[in-house]
Amino acid sequence: MDWSGPFLELEAVTFAYPGRAPVVDGVDWRIAAGEFHALVGRSGCGKSTLLKLAAGLLRPQRGRIRLQGAEIVAPGPQLGFMFQAPTLLDWLRVLDNVLLPVTLQRRPLPVDIERATALLAQLGLAEFAQRYPRQLSGGQQSRVALARALILEPPLLLLDEPFAALDAVTRAELQDDLVRTCRRRGTTVLLVTHDLGEALYIGDHVAVMRAGRIVEAIEVALPEPRTQAMRDGIDFNRHAARLRGALEGARE
Amino acid sequence: MTAERTVAAPAADAPKRRVRWTDSPRFAHALAALLLAVLLAGWEWVARGSGVSALVLPAPSAVFDALVAGFASGYFWPHLAATLLAVMLGLAGGCLAGLVIGVLLAEFALVEKVLRPYVVVSQVVPKLALAPLFVLWFGFGVLPTTLITALICFFPLMENTLTGLQHVDAPRLQLFRMLGATRLQTLWRLKLPASLPAILAGLRVAVVLALVGAVVGEFISASEGLGAVIIAAQGAMDTSLMFAALLLVSLTGLLLYQAVLVLERRLLRAHADFPVDTPVETPR
Repeated sequence: MDWSGPFLELEAVTFAYPGRAPVVDGVDWRIAAGEFHALVGRSGCGKSTLLKLAAGLLRPQRGRIRLQGAEIVAPGPQLGFMFQAPTLLDWLRVLDNVLLPVTLQRRPLPVDIERATALLAQLGLAEFAQRYPRQLSGGQQSRVALARALILEPPLLLLDEPFAALDAVTRAELQDDLVRTCRRRGTTVLLVTHDLGEALYIGDHVAVMRAGRIVEAIEVALPEPRTQAMRDGIDFNRHAARLRGALEGARE
Repeated sequence: MTAERTVAAPAADAPKRRVRWTDSPRFAHALAALLLAVLLAGWEWVARGSGVSALVLPAPSAVFDALVAGFASGYFWPHLAATLLAVMLGLAGGCLAGLVIGVLLAEFALVEKVLRPYVVVSQVVPKLALAPLFVLWFGFGVLPTTLITALICFFPLMENTLTGLQHVDAPRLQLFRMLGATRLQTLWRLKLPASLPAILAGLRVAVVLALVGAVVGEFISASEGLGAVIIAAQGAMDTSLMFAALLLVSLTGLLLYQAVLVLERRLLRAHADFPVDTPVETPR
């Protein structure tokens, strides 16, 4: 990897569903390798569409999206993806769910199974490998989805409000798991959320999206590693106030 | 005061409902058996005491005698075998065809658009009314019966396969797209397993219909089989034998249905909410 430019680069990206106003309207954005970026915005601001564009699920009408200098044309193993719901396959055991991205490419090798087992262990699910998803709690299912997203060791992980359906305590645990696991691997993370606290807690950079545009992008000056206790601190709340102001800007 | 306490009490403190012996499934089974005995006794009593001809309503004891005699003399075996053969062949052929056509219709929009009107029309045609035509084409015997059975089994399977495949949820399809799955992989590893409950529900319908198809087919087009026995007994005015054959048909249907339920339970083990034997709370 001798690419020296930005890891993921969006350049004047515009996307509109047929016959409607653009959902994403001229977005420029640069993400360096290993950074955690969070994108916040209210419902319908185009943040999920932007994520789909970055994933290659949609193609922009104008502008360009490059991953390590190469234009993204289709989804592939270079991307890990986690949805709002865990979307596990009920008929597969947890281990096989985690291995799904591998088994769709080739027969899994012992090293793949080892990696899956290690991931599950890191996420506190070692003894659940042979269970079926329905036997797991919501938080555990989300962890399985995270393990599945990371099994191919993708350099970029895209997350679309992955913890929205979880209770506050479980969500905090999952956030810690995510940060710890991805930092260790050097995975670049792009997280879409409507939860300001989540964006600040996870992101090094937080961008605010409004009506298809990025209206504010801040670098989060909070020490690493972050702890849940920081959420009550002055710095955290000052950042939050600034983001909230940017989110609500349109109301004036 | 009591009412207030009841409202304030958290759910965990609520007194457990006492399990009464009348709640046990065994009690219900015993009641059902008792009801059967009462019904049979009443039937026997009516058949013997009311002067109704045995031609119209033979006593259960007479039916039982006919059943025992039929098995003892070996009369029933070839007929039972013929019916089972027609049911099995028809079921296998019809279900396989239904599954394949269902998949084709679901996977290829053009095929669906072209064939949909034919499918609807052929659904409406009463399949049993085709039996005389099949006799004309294929002669007497197992073949026309099997074909009618297959035709009847075809539709529930096709319909359920089609519906099942078309209703795979969007996030999972998107997941497979994200993972770069081929169309065949998406069908084989996502759509078919996800549709399995619907497909098996179709099979449950088909298995019951298969027996109807085979018996009615035999009414018209066969000299062997339980349907043929019923017709022969009618001709010989042996109503006891008719009832005995009817009983055999019903028992066969019951067994086939149970077999499908067992199959369903095995195949859908992971789909269903089955009891969790160990605690699932996070170990941290």
